[in-house]
Amino acid sequence: MDYKYIEQLLERYWECETSLEEEQILRSFFNQKDVPARLLQYKEVFAIADEDKENRLSDDFDERILAMVEDKPAVKARQISLWSRFSPIVKAAAAIAIVLTIGSITEKSILQDRPEPVQTDYMAHPQTYRQTDVVTATNNVDHVAAEASIDTIMPLGSKPLATDQQQ
Amino acid sequence: MKEISFRNDVLPLKDKFFRLALRLTRNREEAEDIVQETLLRLWNKREELKAEGIETLGFTICHNLAIDHLQKKETQNIAFDPALHEAADSDNTPADQLIAKEGQSLIQQIVSQLPEKQQAIIQLRDVEGKEYKEIAQILQITEADVKVSLFRARQKIKEQYIKLNRYGL
Repeated sequence: MDYKYIEQLLERYWECETSLEEEQILRSFFNQKDVPARLLQYKEVFAIADEDKENRLSDDFDERILAMVEDKPAVKARQISLWSRFSPIVKAAAAIAIVLTIGSITEKSILQDRPEPVQTDYMAHPQTYRQTDVVTATNNVDHVAAEASIDTIMPLGSKPLATDQQQ
Repeated sequence: MKEISFRNDVLPLKDKFFRLALRLTRNREEAEDIVQETLLRLWNKREELKAEGIETLGFTICHNLAIDHLQKKETQNIAFDPALHEAADSDNTPADQLIAKEGQSLIQQIVSQLPEKQQAIIQLRDVEGKEYKEIAQILQITEADVKVSLFRARQKIKEQYIKLNRYGL
């Protein structure tokens, strides 16, 4: 068999004149079983690729790197609108405002639920109301309407307490 | 534009990068760390990448990381263990050097004696089958530089084989 072609290729290989395809031909040639004795010494030179390709990463490499990649997605520049940036604060403020509004409304409505002041015929019971006037005058309190709301049957002693509550 | 997937576009390159890193560092653990870092850096750059450019850039990153590792190790060795270097330099005959490491083929041992640049070029050309142009891109040198280095590397390999043949090994 004529190995002239291979010998030529080999010569050109050492001079770095072979193409990738020609280098592949050399690899295939030296990879076969019967390489002539005088070329046999170079068999190994062309086995480097096959030999080296047996070098592989350890088996758990994929698992580890996938965990890292999935844990840390690349930092992406995200458009953050003014609304999305401040919305937590705005929402919190709105929540507080709602609570306060509801609170004040209920407070008002509780106050309004108090019974309407009873129209009292002051003139019919001059004795009672004279006394009352004296008490309020001495306490120097000008809540006439408030006092009017207190039932007239109420004993006099409880009146200052009632006015305190109103204040 | 097609979106780059880690599993399909980045991860399958791992063994190629590993072989280059291993060629240069000759340490499996270090090479594995380098590959991990290379893949993560590639993944973080995915927004700027096209699928075809991933491999070339990955090789560049991997090569640079491996060289950094070697330089770091070099300074450490000089600082802490000068005796190691002297011992390594003293046995100069190729036969001694080559017999020293068992379980490694002659060609692997010869390549491991070459300068780093030549090792990287042999790896990319004779193992990974890359064109000169791509090798130049990966190593960020000129194509002429690639050819000159490859020429020197192959001449050295040839010379060693002829020598060893003469010794009857």
